[in-house]
Amino acid sequence: MSQARIIIVTGAGGVGKTTLSAAIGAALARRGIRTLVLTVDPARRLADALGISLNDGGTNRPTPVPGLPGLDAVMIDVTASWEAITRRHSDPDVADRLVDNPYFRAIADRFPAAQSYAAGEQVAEFAQSGAWELVVVDTPPAAGGLDFFTAPRRMRDLVGGRLLRWLTGAHIPGRRLLYRATARPMLRLTDMVLGSALLEEIAEFLLDLRALYDGLSARAADIDRLLSGSDVYVATTDAPGPVREANRFFVHLPDVDVRPSALIFNRSLPERWITARGPKGNARQDQALRENLRRWAVEARRNRDARVAMAARLQIPMATVPWLRHPPNSVTELADLVSQSEGLENVLDR
Amino acid sequence: MLDHKLVIVSGKGGVGKSAVSVALALRAQRAGKQVLVAALTDEVGTAIHFGADRLGYQPALFHGDIEAMAVDRGAALDEYLHVQLRVPRAAPTKTLVRAMQVLVDTAPGIREVISMGKPIFDTWAGRHDLVIVDAPPLGQLMSYLRAPEVVAKLVPTGAIKDQAGRMARELADSERSALVLVTTPEELPALETAQALAELAAEPVIKVAAVIANRVLPELDIDPARLAAVDARPATEAAFHHIGLLEEQHAALEMLPVDTSLPYLFGVHTPSEVAALLADAWEDAL
Repeated sequence: MSQARIIIVTGAGGVGKTTLSAAIGAALARRGIRTLVLTVDPARRLADALGISLNDGGTNRPTPVPGLPGLDAVMIDVTASWEAITRRHSDPDVADRLVDNPYFRAIADRFPAAQSYAAGEQVAEFAQSGAWELVVVDTPPAAGGLDFFTAPRRMRDLVGGRLLRWLTGAHIPGRRLLYRATARPMLRLTDMVLGSALLEEIAEFLLDLRALYDGLSARAADIDRLLSGSDVYVATTDAPGPVREANRFFVHLPDVDVRPSALIFNRSLPERWITARGPKGNARQDQALRENLRRWAVEARRNRDARVAMAARLQIPMATVPWLRHPPNSVTELADLVSQSEGLENVLDR
Repeated sequence: MLDHKLVIVSGKGGVGKSAVSVALALRAQRAGKQVLVAALTDEVGTAIHFGADRLGYQPALFHGDIEAMAVDRGAALDEYLHVQLRVPRAAPTKTLVRAMQVLVDTAPGIREVISMGKPIFDTWAGRHDLVIVDAPPLGQLMSYLRAPEVVAKLVPTGAIKDQAGRMARELADSERSALVLVTTPEELPALETAQALAELAAEPVIKVAAVIANRVLPELDIDPARLAAVDARPATEAAFHHIGLLEEQHAALEMLPVDTSLPYLFGVHTPSEVAALLADAWEDAL
């Protein structure tokens, strides 16, 4: 079975990750590469352009993007994926018990590693299905995106029973051992604060979760390998928050064996604005145009300085995507965004 | 807004909620209030708007008498156990803290209750007139706001249950606690803010005191139809760029009941300058 190339676009929220992922997918599909774009939370305009219905929530079922043969898109629903994962990796009765458990729902809804892990497992499934040559991933926003890369390890820790191991001292404890353990005097205080009933409920839940361990840890190792073999692009704008976030990616991704291969600087402003002159003349419109240009010249300078500073610091291929007056709202406009950018085609060709 | 005891500031990631939190603190200080700013998850984001690199669990002083701190989970847990739940210091707390640390990763709501607990306890301690919480982004906000209620319901017995119940009542007290939502006039942040408002209307865990639109662009006195005749390319490009952004801005602001608009700050400003400029603009807007 052939394994698809994976491109992962990551970065702070609001920098245009979803647009960039869709644009990259559309541009490469237009070159005849069978492509899947996987997204988590698209804006309406993008969902429409990709032919995704927001009303169904995530379906996890890729559908063809109208107007561009060879391009499919899918919006994934992390809660459903997590349920699917549970059913895949455990017996039906254990799976039923887990899925009905209030902690399970809570974990599926808000334990960010679980969401990210679910997304990772979906990516692996699509990439290994043989149906696509390329899978473009728009990373989920939870915990700043870094989480997406650490999730497989953290999930292994969770179902590997860090708490259970500690409660019982055994690697794979049985139920009886657990109850003897919760009766240990050192736990009485925990009982006092949390109530022993909660502790037991959680332990029961974790015991069931343990049933996922073998299947899940093999899969997690698999996903880890896939992620470190992917092309990871960090997206940013000139805003200080996203720049800080991008730097964080470059510092911390190597910890999980992921090396970003490019920086995509989105919403860049034309450098010619910096030195341009406005219209002469004293009509009200001329004055307004001059004042507006003066404001945006300052912004264009700040934008260029941020770009130059990041390029100097990171020493990594950089692509620059212009700040469009109207965000792309069709698949053609999305694909065109790549040719309007500077350096993005080179980055994609590697 | 400044008359509350606890003001929680949230918004979609990247809209400037830390800047607005610090601007609010500056306004409260000008009104003669003793203020504490507590950063819940993005410590650095809050710190830089005070001109600092980091914040500690021990409050530090800025601009004279504004206190600011970061809610460190370990330290908050320790304080929670000893001060709030009155677990004696002599108890084998290493075990307890370790058990709790694993549990907070597993049981829904407990981590949030402990983080949210810290600023709430500070309002109860009464040393400040106003506690401002620079809260997690919108995506996580509801799980924080709901946490006390969830824990009070989910945990069968124990000290945490009682404590969580008290916290839930404090948040719901509209005289004392309020939420401020920050957005930018862009499609996605506005949509998420509208969704959060709908959720909070259905589940009123806290009163929404204000919706703040940040980085609002000035209107432009230019007729796009007459731009074709202008012979100055960059000037018309910049004008079309601005007009395009204004279209998105108008659509976004129409979705929301905005109370105050804070301006887009053109040019280069340090984060602490941004906070001060926003505080001034906020005063002017009122």
